[in-house]
Amino acid sequence: MESVIVVGGGLGGFTAVQQLRGRGFAGRIAVVDPEGVPYDRPPLSKEFLAGSIDAEQLLFVEPHWFAERGVDVYAAAATAVDLPDAEDDDGRVAVTLSDGGRLTADRIVFATGGKPRALPVPGGDLDSLLVLRTRADAEKLRAGLVPGARLAVIGGGLIGAEAASAAHRLGVEVTLIDPVDPPLVPAVGPELAGRLHAMHAAAGIRVLAAAPSEISVRDGVHELAFGDGIGPVSADVVLVGIGIVPNTALAEAAGVEVDGGILTDDAQRTSHPRAWAVGDCTRPRLGDGSPGRRAEHWESAMHAGTAAAAAMLGQEPPAQTASWFWSDRHGVHVEGVGDMTAGDTTVTRADASGNVQAAFRLAAADDGHRVVGAAAVDGGVAIRVARRMIDRGTAADPARLADPAVPYKQLLK
Amino acid sequence: MSDPINIGSVDDIPPGEARVLDGDDNSTGVDISVFHAEDGSFYALDDECTHEEASLADGFIEDSQVECPLHAAAFCLKTGKALCLPATENARTHRVEVRDGELYLYPGEPATTQA
Repeated sequence: MESVIVVGGGLGGFTAVQQLRGRGFAGRIAVVDPEGVPYDRPPLSKEFLAGSIDAEQLLFVEPHWFAERGVDVYAAAATAVDLPDAEDDDGRVAVTLSDGGRLTADRIVFATGGKPRALPVPGGDLDSLLVLRTRADAEKLRAGLVPGARLAVIGGGLIGAEAASAAHRLGVEVTLIDPVDPPLVPAVGPELAGRLHAMHAAAGIRVLAAAPSEISVRDGVHELAFGDGIGPVSADVVLVGIGIVPNTALAEAAGVEVDGGILTDDAQRTSHPRAWAVGDCTRPRLGDGSPGRRAEHWESAMHAGTAAAAAMLGQEPPAQTASWFWSDRHGVHVEGVGDMTAGDTTVTRADASGNVQAAFRLAAADDGHRVVGAAAVDGGVAIRVARRMIDRGTAADPARLADPAVPYKQLLK
Repeated sequence: MSDPINIGSVDDIPPGEARVLDGDDNSTGVDISVFHAEDGSFYALDDECTHEEASLADGFIEDSQVECPLHAAAFCLKTGKALCLPATENARTHRVEVRDGELYLYPGEPATTQA
């Protein structure tokens, strides 16, 4: 292998580049992304939206990092990918760029990410509805978040909750709308989901457990209609955060196998021997060949980029670890690890004020219990311990998990 | 370089824990964390994570690494090397010495092993 093209400069693509170089690959590397120099997305709904960090601080590394390591960054979109015959060991991958350029290489990494899911109701396709995925999206949203403006956030998941919190702190009048009450139960369990969702109303955000049936706009003001005698809600700015759809068109057109995501094995190989895929555009192929659940979290994209780089170089990928995510809203830091929908019982631990600080999801084992998932509010150590318990299969004592007198780290002993 | 500061006895910081020396109390002007690694050795790094505002002393110390309490960036305690994203900048190290059961920190003087 002498050259690699990485299509997409999000976390997965950037990590693949960083790891290829870090693991000793000296060949050519090209990164193709219409947004140019790779940057980190989690702050877009947090610190960047709040205005406490600027665009430069979003960058993973300064632009000269790429030049110093012989990595070419192309600020263009990839419009087509041609893969060689799978059997042809000398065949080249070719990528056509939106600026007319054409790149060739031995290998390609699809890191094409996802795009926000559109709201499937009349008016859900209005150009004036905002989404939050890119730096440009965040800048556009931020411009509308002036004190006294009315913001309707549709979707109370991670992005919606973070954006609602940031907007509220900017003096915006926020309405947070989600038909599921509380949202995020699959991610953090019902105990913490309820506590977290209640923080919105406590902060002064109007919370509606409903789904809009229609959106219209007149003279710059949106009206959200609901059934069931709710609303309507008027809003100057409407943010839709109801999930993403993986960007698979480029890979699919190139003949790579796609099923609700580019299918990858645990080394991020696609169905084509020259093509890898990482991050939000992918879906794992399980051991029995069936497609698994797509992972959309930040860290899984990083691990995928690492695994892809290692596999391309014929190196051993790092050990798999339980999936992990974080979220920041209303001044609290939320983390989750593993799977809160697996297992059979939940144990909670309270903080000094009597609030649920951490929830541990347990599965029965022959000799007791194993942790399969955990979530915590301002409980980073709890999550780091839970992650190690999951990864190592450490026996878990429910009474000790629940007891605030037992330091978390002692649970590993 | 500066004179060492006696920051107390080795018993003051249990293994796997850390103590912060305030920037006002050391010549560098920034907070420094002194870590007691599980191998028994003591190390010191600038306390603030190189990624974002977070105290590494509140992080998870294991083997000879500390993991940031906010976003799980990991640093080598010996060299300050940033071991994974979101950190891409190494942490600054400071020399720590143990003499007669007492801990001496040399603020601003790098540890001998460099990243």
